[in-house]
Amino acid sequence: MVQLRPRASRAPASASAMVDEGQPASEEAEHGLLLGQPSSGAAAEPLEEDGDGDGDEWDDEAPEELTFASAQAEAREEERRVRETARRDKTLLKEKRKRREELFIEQKKRKLLPDAVLEKLTAASQTGIKKSPGKLKEDNLQKKNEECEKRSESKKVKEKVQSIGQNKSYVARRLKDQDLRDSRQQAAIAFIQNSLYGPGTNRTTGTQKKQNAKRFKRRWMVRKMKTSKK
Amino acid sequence: MGEFKVHRVRFFNYVPSGIRCVAYNNQSNRLAVSRTDGTVEIYNLSANYFQEKFFPGHESRATEALCWAKGQRLFSAGLNGEIIEYDLQALNIKYSMDAFGGPIWSMAASPSGSQLLVGCEDGSVKLFQINPDKIQFERNFDRQKSRILSLSWHPSGTHIAAGSIDCISVFDVKSGSAIHKMLVDRQYMGVSKRKCIIWGVAFLSDGTVISVDSAGKVQFWDSATGTLVKTHLVANADVQSIAVSDQEDSFVVGTAEGTVFHFQLVSVTSNSSEKQWVRTKPFQHHTHDVRTVAHSPTALISGGTDTHLVIRPLMEKVEVKNYDAALRKITFPHRRLISCSKKRQLLLFQFSHHLDLWRLGSTVATGKHGDTLPLSKDADHLLHLKTKVSKMPAFLRSAVQILFSEDSTKLFVASNQGSLHIIRLLEGSFKHLHTFQAQSGTVESMCLLAVSPDGNWLAASGTSAGVHVYNVKRLKLHCTVPAYNFPVTALAIAPKTNNLVIAHSDQQIFEYSIPDKQYTEWSRTIQKQGFHYLWLQRDTPITHISFHPKRPMHILLHDAYMFCIIDKSLPLPNDKTLLYNPLPPTNESDVIRRRTAHAFKISKRYKPLLFMDLLDERTLVAVERPLDDIIAQLPPPIKKKKFGT
Repeated sequence: MVQLRPRASRAPASASAMVDEGQPASEEAEHGLLLGQPSSGAAAEPLEEDGDGDGDEWDDEAPEELTFASAQAEAREEERRVRETARRDKTLLKEKRKRREELFIEQKKRKLLPDAVLEKLTAASQTGIKKSPGKLKEDNLQKKNEECEKRSESKKVKEKVQSIGQNKSYVARRLKDQDLRDSRQQAAIAFIQNSLYGPGTNRTTGTQKKQNAKRFKRRWMVRKMKTSKK
Repeated sequence: MGEFKVHRVRFFNYVPSGIRCVAYNNQSNRLAVSRTDGTVEIYNLSANYFQEKFFPGHESRATEALCWAKGQRLFSAGLNGEIIEYDLQALNIKYSMDAFGGPIWSMAASPSGSQLLVGCEDGSVKLFQINPDKIQFERNFDRQKSRILSLSWHPSGTHIAAGSIDCISVFDVKSGSAIHKMLVDRQYMGVSKRKCIIWGVAFLSDGTVISVDSAGKVQFWDSATGTLVKTHLVANADVQSIAVSDQEDSFVVGTAEGTVFHFQLVSVTSNSSEKQWVRTKPFQHHTHDVRTVAHSPTALISGGTDTHLVIRPLMEKVEVKNYDAALRKITFPHRRLISCSKKRQLLLFQFSHHLDLWRLGSTVATGKHGDTLPLSKDADHLLHLKTKVSKMPAFLRSAVQILFSEDSTKLFVASNQGSLHIIRLLEGSFKHLHTFQAQSGTVESMCLLAVSPDGNWLAASGTSAGVHVYNVKRLKLHCTVPAYNFPVTALAIAPKTNNLVIAHSDQQIFEYSIPDKQYTEWSRTIQKQGFHYLWLQRDTPITHISFHPKRPMHILLHDAYMFCIIDKSLPLPNDKTLLYNPLPPTNESDVIRRRTAHAFKISKRYKPLLFMDLLDERTLVAVERPLDDIIAQLPPPIKKKKFGT
């Protein structure tokens, strides 16, 4: 990019600006040499514009001489800055992602049981001791059930795990298994109901029996009246 | 005798559960019966068919199969997929083991008694090894396509037959593979859309497999070739159960119509050695499905949805043809389910999962003998208590029998290990006073408790050592009534005299004086003379004994079909006198009345009786349960064409 030296403007206020621009003047001197090579067209235009914009008031001043070196340095500076910003952005994003990952891991760790407990679990599952059916899953075991599921996903532990830790007598079970078991039991009960009392079986109903009895009674009474009349 | 006003109570809605399985144990002559609500009862067939033990049921434990194994071990399996072993000494469940095959439909113990086979919903047949402490899974047999509904071992233990839906498979036990698959016709000589369910199979030692199915057929198969030999069509409905005798010369099948058929192996002609199976006798003792049958050496046992347990001795197998060879139908419970508070006129009904408390109605009308008096105030349903698990010490949780003392300050609890606990009840809490330990391994039947009205003595039965009498005030064993070889069915201590009256399952009654530590004179007299033969032939046990507060010579007791007041001051009847003598007409002379009167005043007016007690001097309460009321609440039976309807 070409940095143009600000013109000596009519307004006296710009005098300070001119003073400030003392430094760039030297840069521009360097730039002037290089100016020809890069976008001369681009450089030419603004000059022309300025020339147009100013109109009649300005004298045809020649643009400041920018040395090639200065322009190059500026360009480099620019590039460096851009690179820096890009790098910073990237690192910032990385940092953010890293922090988020850590947070997730932290949360996950909190959900998992302590290692000691898990060890005991796996040990107990190998021995495979079962509890009596009276001690079924409790509500406070919901979490533990999930964890057991996660941990034993690969092991496919289906057995009931003996209670560990405190002296509470509870049993940890896979929820998936319990649902399967219940559905199977329901299917079995439905099968036997259907085969004994379902359609196709020749069963009376209570009301049917009463109706039959009523009908019979009526007929019998009629018959009796007939015979008694005779 | 006196006149009494009687509260006739019929609002006890007692409905027993249908019988699902029976298993007969030859060595001990005991029968295990499981019901649809999961209750398992043990009947001692030699002790006059008395129900000596029971395991209360739970809805998660509905049993589908029951079997005995070596060493008097009882196993059951059900639709929750678990095999349960029962501890017959401690009266609880030893353990339950999941078979991991889904719901279990059938189970059979090997002839040697050391292996257990279960047939599951997923079509697998699993073999378990019976170890001294537990059972252990051994291996799976070849998996079949549909659920295994029935199993049977070959007597040698080398092969098994498994019946499922539309087919029967014969397996070789060693390899576990199916040798034959026999396809069963869906209907006899026809086509039916309904699948043919093989409800029962039996494997005989000559290789014949007998199957019973839902099309009403009894079929004989040859397991060596896998072919059908003979078909018998016995019913229009399902044939649901089969049991073969040990000698393999007879078997029994039960149908859904309530009929039980007896098949016997008879020679073709009188001289030839060739035999064939012939259907000999039909028995119609059930109104609903006969879901299970068993064959003891001398009797056919059947049970089903109509809740009766029927034991039919076979005349040709019974040696002595006396009353023992009569049909036994066990319908009503052998223990007391009702308690009565005499002062407050309240009745407590015990159901399987809840308690009901009722207040009796009252009347101000009066009438003559035999009149029914109108109620001025109806009976009130006061409370309906469901089971609740609350904080209780461990020893109380396994209580078998609970009894309050007369003044309600003490609670006596008999636990299932045979020990007895005395607890003092205080306002809102309790204090454990004492525990009497019993010898382990001596538990014979369910413990019965009785406490004396003055609160000094506690009697407990149920062990093989006899009835123990404890001194409650001094907290020690006072004496033990000598052991009798029949279990105790009812126990009570009389007021003032402190005589312990014990009724046994063979209908014997003993009276033991606790202060004197010996049998009373009256008891010795009646033992010497013996009870009337009709008294001994009653087939329901005495479940409750009570006393008259003002008349110490009277003992009131009842069984399911009669109630009796024993007047100890009157002479005892001998076999020649009429036991059930009705009230003599008033115009008879006093002399005749005195001659015919004897000690046993029996009335059969109120039956079937579940409970009878003296409320006060002039009032009795009788809780009846007509059979029709029970039948009205049973599931529907098979439609049967009745002549004229």
